[in-house]
Amino acid sequence: MSYFVVLTLTGVAAGMIYSALALALVLIWRATRVVNFSQGAMAMTTTYIALAVIQATGNYWFGFIAALAAGLVMGAVAERAIVRWVEKGPPLNAVIVTLGLLLVLEAVVPMIGGAQIRAFPAPFSIAATAVGSTFIALSPFNIFTIAVVLLVMVALLVLFRFTSLGLRMRAAAFAPEIARLLGVRVGRLLTFGWSLATMAGALAGLLVAPTLLLYPNNMDAVLVYGFTAAVLGGLDSPVGALVGGLSIGLALSYIGGYFGGDLETAGVLVILIAILMIWPKGLFVHAAERRV
Amino acid sequence: MLGSLSAFRPTLIRHSILGLGFLLAAGLAVWWVDSFNQFLVYELSSVCYFAIAAAGLTVLTGLNGQLSLGHGALMGIGAYTTAVLLKDHTDLNPGLVMAAATLVTAGASVIVGAAAARLRGPYLAGATLGLAVGLPGVAVRFSNVFGGDTGLSVPALSAPDALSSVPPVVWLVWVGLVPTVITFVLLANLVRTRYGRDFRAIREDEVASALYGIRVARTQVLAFVLSGACAGLAGSLLGYTANVAAPGSFPLTLSLLLLAAIVIGGLGTLPGAVWGALIIVFAPDWISSLSDAAHLPIAMQGQLPLALFGAVFVVAMLAFPHGIQGGLVRLWRLRAGRRTDGASEGAAGT
Amino acid sequence: MLEVEDLSVAYGGVAALDGVSLRIPNNGITAVLGPNGAGKSTLLRTIAGLVRPRAGRVLYRDRLLTGMSPEAIVRAGVSLVPEGGGIIRELTVEENLRLAHLWRRDPADLRKALDEVMALFPPLAARRHLPAHSLSGGERQMLAVGRALMSRAELLLLDEPSLGLAPKLVSLIMRTVRDLRATRGVSVLLVEQNARSALSIADEALLLSSGRAVAWRRAGELVHEEELWHAYLGY
Repeated sequence: MSYFVVLTLTGVAAGMIYSALALALVLIWRATRVVNFSQGAMAMTTTYIALAVIQATGNYWFGFIAALAAGLVMGAVAERAIVRWVEKGPPLNAVIVTLGLLLVLEAVVPMIGGAQIRAFPAPFSIAATAVGSTFIALSPFNIFTIAVVLLVMVALLVLFRFTSLGLRMRAAAFAPEIARLLGVRVGRLLTFGWSLATMAGALAGLLVAPTLLLYPNNMDAVLVYGFTAAVLGGLDSPVGALVGGLSIGLALSYIGGYFGGDLETAGVLVILIAILMIWPKGLFVHAAERRV
Repeated sequence: MLGSLSAFRPTLIRHSILGLGFLLAAGLAVWWVDSFNQFLVYELSSVCYFAIAAAGLTVLTGLNGQLSLGHGALMGIGAYTTAVLLKDHTDLNPGLVMAAATLVTAGASVIVGAAAARLRGPYLAGATLGLAVGLPGVAVRFSNVFGGDTGLSVPALSAPDALSSVPPVVWLVWVGLVPTVITFVLLANLVRTRYGRDFRAIREDEVASALYGIRVARTQVLAFVLSGACAGLAGSLLGYTANVAAPGSFPLTLSLLLLAAIVIGGLGTLPGAVWGALIIVFAPDWISSLSDAAHLPIAMQGQLPLALFGAVFVVAMLAFPHGIQGGLVRLWRLRAGRRTDGASEGAAGT
Repeated sequence: MLEVEDLSVAYGGVAALDGVSLRIPNNGITAVLGPNGAGKSTLLRTIAGLVRPRAGRVLYRDRLLTGMSPEAIVRAGVSLVPEGGGIIRELTVEENLRLAHLWRRDPADLRKALDEVMALFPPLAARRHLPAHSLSGGERQMLAVGRALMSRAELLLLDEPSLGLAPKLVSLIMRTVRDLRATRGVSVLLVEQNARSALSIADEALLLSSGRAVAWRRAGELVHEEELWHAYLGY
């Protein structure tokens, strides 16, 4: 396998994880116009919960489901209890509240679970897959990662485009006041949007933990990459989240592979700034303006 | 007393005199405190550089409305400049070194500010977030210049021979107080000039500002450069205080703490920057002694300051969006007999 | 059916409505007229729950509407079509229409209602799957009225439905509103700048000026009161 292909494949697998986190950020942004800077910390927390369940039951999939369920609950609680109060005010207030949440989560989780670095299991092998007599640089776990993120994205696409729940959610996001006048329970749908988003984030946390290991700050970098991916694709666009995530994953892989590991983030920063200078609102800007 | 001083016309002169007076008083006070609590004096040096960085950031974010999550990295530029300059010339005048660090960081801020000038809200936050996380990696990559993971050392300051009776810690604070006072005096006056008004105008309504003839992009960059310069100066002082410039000293958390500080202190207000700096430096101590007193297990103790900090952060934003300074101003008004109109309390935060 | 008692609304320190009262009987069409800034829109928005009044109450079928959320008020049977039509531009024509009916959770009735609206407004049927922002002004107002039909409301609050429309369209819309009352017993509270077209279908008219109720007349009588016209309706 040429070095380039190896880098590409690993970049795609990593990129899918960033896409999942980016998707979480996009969903929340579309629903409540807030960037949830604590999304990574929330994903870290749900992964810790998964680990506890896995250790108690001996079954990976129980932990997997526990993490996703915890994500659903955590998103709802965060929106209802905290973010709701700052949704209406200046955007800076909401940013700051989510940053505060980040600090709290990253401090409280180790208080309960300990700060040491832990290993996290993967449901499939992380060694290279054998195809006939050659090996491709994608492990079964990588393939699972790509498949499950794509599955989630397709499921969400179907939800939004083809169901009445999705229609109501889109209405609540595009024009909350008008949606109310149509009998749509906007408040509940925004909470549900947060739930879905945090579930997507939980997925990202689960998928990254086997390689990145589990410790209180492990999602910091992933948040940065996910946020960069979301911004790159345009915060309003779930498709943009996917494209952005893959782009970041590939860019990180190539830069790290050809120029050395420490320059990865700096390289991504340069790319981000370059793209934003030309498209200040990301690559996939919606043509229709949002109603205020 | 203050009222009679306002007879002096330009406020700059008035502020400078006040600043000078403060310097003298504080300098003596610090020397006196050193005789019974040297650690407190050392922490005051931290307060100085946090205050400078916070002042710059509060002008940028509070007045001008640009949210930067990357000022920790800009502080790093200041610290590394200091370390590099002092690498081969260990007895350069600290004033010159700090000035150089400020200029270098200001230069970098021109680039960042220009790149960021078109970005708004979360997009700006994202770009500066990338700066905060990406820049330390550059120091590690070019380790021959920047000392890699362990960083570069910064020689300790000690008083010149003429003042040899002054302990190094006290001298460090004296050296720190001067740029602090200068920064605050300059910013306090800048805020009252046309530039300050332009900053606020753009935050309120960018389109209207442009129609009024304000050159928005230039003003945005100016605000960024100003705050970046403050961060560079603060970073330089941090280098002198910690005696090191290392990538680990400038994590993302630093940028977030700065933001927390200016919000809790009172967004957009210079006194707020001071309150915020005091809190960042002293709150962990108070919280530690609290958790000591409560006999919490060690594991929890380490995390408690940050947890409480985050919690206070969130609560402050929800309940006290004007921060400490806002609360003080309201108390003052109530005492002075003027009631603030409840209905006009409307716009929270900025 | 609808009783507004002494409603007062203030934005900041400015009074937008000051002690306004009105009553709409079952099956009635009431017009709210007045110059710009008189508070007509505010009145509708307050009834619909978008604005909290400072004083006064709104009763619908003896139920207290004041304090209820807008979504709950819709479910009670009161639907506001705001100025501009209350269209969500990013959604398609059909999506906008479906949305108005979803809260009823009655898919069979939704299909029936959708067919009715498409039959009534052929241009909408032709642009069924196009996004709403691609419609012309007249088509958008049709969509607004169509969505009002979909909501199956018993009391419709219409805010300037004929704004910016050609006369032929204005009459179509007024006819549709009148037919709604006739065939389905829908009551209507109609805010209009175009006083004459409103009075052509209204039973009664409330004249607002600077947030206060200035006059309350049967529609037929108001047309003949020149003084009132000149003073408040401009011509």
